[in-house]
Amino acid sequence: MTHFGLSDTTSRRGALLGAAAALLLSSRSGLAAIADASATPREFIQRLGDRTVQILNEPQSENARKLQELKRLLDEATDLDLIARLVMGRYWREASETQKAEYLELFRALVMQTMAERFSWYTGETFEITDAKPVDERDTIVSTRINRTNGKPPILVDWRVRKGERGYLLVDIVAEGVSLVVTQRSEAAEIIGRSGIDGLLAEMRKRIARRDAGRSPTGT
Amino acid sequence: MHEAVHRAAPARSVRARHGRSGVLALTLLAGLAPSAKVRAQETVWDPIEPVNRAVFGFNMLADEWVLEPVARGYRYVAPEPVRRSVGNFLANLRSPVIFVNDLLQGERERAGITLGRLMINTTLGVFGLFDAASTFGYLPHDEDLGQTLGVWGAPPGPYIMLPLLGPSNVRDAFGRVGDWAIDPLNNCCIDTDERLGRLGGSAISEREANIEVIDDLKRNSLDFYATVRTIYAQRRAADIRNGAAPPPGGQENYEDIFKDEGTEP
Repeated sequence: MTHFGLSDTTSRRGALLGAAAALLLSSRSGLAAIADASATPREFIQRLGDRTVQILNEPQSENARKLQELKRLLDEATDLDLIARLVMGRYWREASETQKAEYLELFRALVMQTMAERFSWYTGETFEITDAKPVDERDTIVSTRINRTNGKPPILVDWRVRKGERGYLLVDIVAEGVSLVVTQRSEAAEIIGRSGIDGLLAEMRKRIARRDAGRSPTGT
Repeated sequence: MHEAVHRAAPARSVRARHGRSGVLALTLLAGLAPSAKVRAQETVWDPIEPVNRAVFGFNMLADEWVLEPVARGYRYVAPEPVRRSVGNFLANLRSPVIFVNDLLQGERERAGITLGRLMINTTLGVFGLFDAASTFGYLPHDEDLGQTLGVWGAPPGPYIMLPLLGPSNVRDAFGRVGDWAIDPLNNCCIDTDERLGRLGGSAISEREANIEVIDDLKRNSLDFYATVRTIYAQRRAADIRNGAAPPPGGQENYEDIFKDEGTEP
């Protein structure tokens, strides 16, 4: 069904799953040590990944605590507000101040929720950096290979980082060719096109409420 | 295995159309879509969206009622090593088509790997049940005619949601038909029932492997149809590049997203 095709492409060899898991997780890892103005993009991603894997592997720590740490990493290592604005794209300028504020808040909440769900996907993946290519004076794409367990083929993931005053911050994750920003932007454009910015906000609120009502993910 | 889906195209009736004429028709069709290039990357060209959405709704129902339960049942009864062997076996069956497409793309080295994999896995790997080739460093990759056409420069054309088969576009739909036609197995060795069995088996195997991803996408999408559409388009573009990072400046629209911050300063 859809899913024949979906399986086919979305997640060839279940790739996206592991990638998304390892990545989305890792993406949210960043500590004080990670935000370092002198670090190269490669070093930044290396630390981010190391720290994430370290948190995930802490056997004694409670899931709730791991999640807290990952969230803190996420906050420090990604430019979530920029990502949120990029996702809204040209509609950002049309949004009122109130809409913008609410959108940023909802966006953050959704990302955190999603992370909490994917958190459990981690099954001992490791990563290695294969390349780092500057795109322009600000942005660099760091390529990694996520090695999976169980004889599954590795997943290629690119991390787009942007130079800021305090060092690099993550601005996009591209797992096996699928960009987080492009994907969410496409979705946002579809919904805004149909029902406006308020429609998008309503959809996001609904999504959060539904999740809250359902399971209560660890630590959220 | 992932490509099993491609097998679904109606087989012999369309066979005569494979090859050059198909490519030509495809290119012409796609050529009618000048807007496709202009559009930002996040907007996949989808002129028949209402129809596609209806088909998507049908596919979702079919999945919910048939494929997903079967896939979950399969996971329940078959232990992981068995499922992996099934996946390996189905993937091995696809090797000939991958090989042909490697050649059509002028990828000699990859063609060699595919051929090596086929031989190793069919013999040492016991008819493909084990992926022995990977342990020798011959890792799997995938190709299909849709990708080959893409490598040759054919644009994707309009997005199409195929009943039961899932997301596609004009180029890839042609590709499916062509792949089916050039598949040596279809031509020499297996009859209609076996082909359907292979198709169904692949669908179940793939669906099982992706239970978590699909659950996650459904849960985290604000508009699942739009999500599937963009992921399909992005994946196909990446497949055509053989997983290579987009060349700097080669993917204007993607870069544009990051130049326009949508904000003041």
